[in-house]
Amino acid sequence: MHELRLMWRNTRMVVLCAISAALYAAVLVPFKVVPLIPGVTELRPANAIPIVCSFLFGPAAAWGSAIGNMIGDFFGGVGPGDIFGFVANLMYGYIPYKAWGIIADGQSPVMRTPATIAKYVAVCLAASVLCADLVGWGDNLLAFRPFSILGNIIIFNNMISALALSPLILYGVYPRVRAGRMLYTDVMPELRERPRAVRVAGLTMLLGGELGAWAMGNLVSTGYWIPSFLPASFAISPYDKAIAVTVSPLIFVALAGAWLM
Amino acid sequence: MPIYLYIDHRSAIHRLHPTVKVFALFVMFWSVYWVDHPLALLPLGVLMVALAQATGSWPNFYRLRWLFILLIFFTTLAWMVFYRRGPALINLPIIHLSRASLVFGFGRGLKLAELLATSVLFLSTTKVEEFTAGLQRMGVPYRVGFAITLAFRLAPLFIDSALTVVQAQSLRGYDFNRGGPIARARRYVPVVIPVFMGALRKANNMAMALEARGFGISATPTSYIDFPMRARDRMAFAIVAGIGMLYFAIYYFGYGAIAVN
Repeated sequence: MHELRLMWRNTRMVVLCAISAALYAAVLVPFKVVPLIPGVTELRPANAIPIVCSFLFGPAAAWGSAIGNMIGDFFGGVGPGDIFGFVANLMYGYIPYKAWGIIADGQSPVMRTPATIAKYVAVCLAASVLCADLVGWGDNLLAFRPFSILGNIIIFNNMISALALSPLILYGVYPRVRAGRMLYTDVMPELRERPRAVRVAGLTMLLGGELGAWAMGNLVSTGYWIPSFLPASFAISPYDKAIAVTVSPLIFVALAGAWLM
Repeated sequence: MPIYLYIDHRSAIHRLHPTVKVFALFVMFWSVYWVDHPLALLPLGVLMVALAQATGSWPNFYRLRWLFILLIFFTTLAWMVFYRRGPALINLPIIHLSRASLVFGFGRGLKLAELLATSVLFLSTTKVEEFTAGLQRMGVPYRVGFAITLAFRLAPLFIDSALTVVQAQSLRGYDFNRGGPIARARRYVPVVIPVFMGALRKANNMAMALEARGFGISATPTSYIDFPMRARDRMAFAIVAGIGMLYFAIYYFGYGAIAVN
């Protein structure tokens, strides 16, 4: 995760970050008026952009995703929950290229073999689930909206864009960007990865934490299952305290995993 | 939907120091967070209406009127499904219609609507460069502030480029409106690719131009735009801080909560 800090020293990466954010916001804002579930989320074809930019610009895309979403949020109402939205989108742009580097090191994301497609779906799902977990967890902690609404809609919304749109854009753009030596590995050749074993352990923690958080968040926020060790005062709607106790540790495991990747 | 909501009205709110405006934004989040009861939220709503009148922001509120209505309606409805407390007034299959769920849901809807109103007011009275100046005064690094400003500035340019490509493709007989929602979204991919590549061509030149002008040499660069802190800014700061403290006191003494029988 050190590259998220280091990239700010590189002027080209700062510009790529702004471009990623502007592209994301440019598609996000016009669709603010097409709500999927009004008051909860809107149709977000723009969610294809952070995935594409992640494979191209790496850490610049992660920040671009967070800033682009923040710009979009100003047109749908900002609030305390948007701090979680900022981190969630940072992770949505960060996970794809990092996870790809572990499970498909050196391979192009535009190759059309069954194995590459499966890996692509896996990294998009990992990014989408963490993004959904963070927003759902944050909004339920603040008792704005239940986890089970946002935690599932965001995965659906992100995956639709990542599977239906991102591959087409990536297929058109990736070869050209690589030929122009504008991939993040070309712009920041000084970046060094952690040892492979550490990164694999990080990915395992990420997957365990985020899937656990997703399952726990859904069970607890619907009141379907509340751990018996929780006091009775925690087991009442809007379940914000129960979510804080049960989901937060899993979220921190997932974030620690992302940090190790 | 336009990317800029700024209205040049030159009201007293417009002329406030950017740091005070960013601080006011955070205090509104803070105040709205602590109380649940719609009656406790009402004074903030009245304050928003008064500020909208004083700042001439009504055109922006009118543009987003449906978003406000749908936000309140669907948030109330969603919480009537999940907030199953208090005796039911009518027996319905999924919705738990009780006085408590109605008040809680409406309170959540009102909270989110007030957060949206805060962001509309903020964007109606604050230029992008004022926003980033305010963030920098609050400790956000210069380069991050620069990326946010640049993203805000580039997004409308990218929307314009996309519209030009859409018009050019339509003139050649390309039908963007064929098929279902996903098929339609996929038909816009040929629009995204030239916009993307055009943006990347700009990135290189922009990075060189920035470095030629000494971008990043100093962590605290000077600026042509100066924002002096005046007496009226200090007074506004005190009033806003007072509102934040008042709302925390309302929460602390238990006046903003919803009683469930």
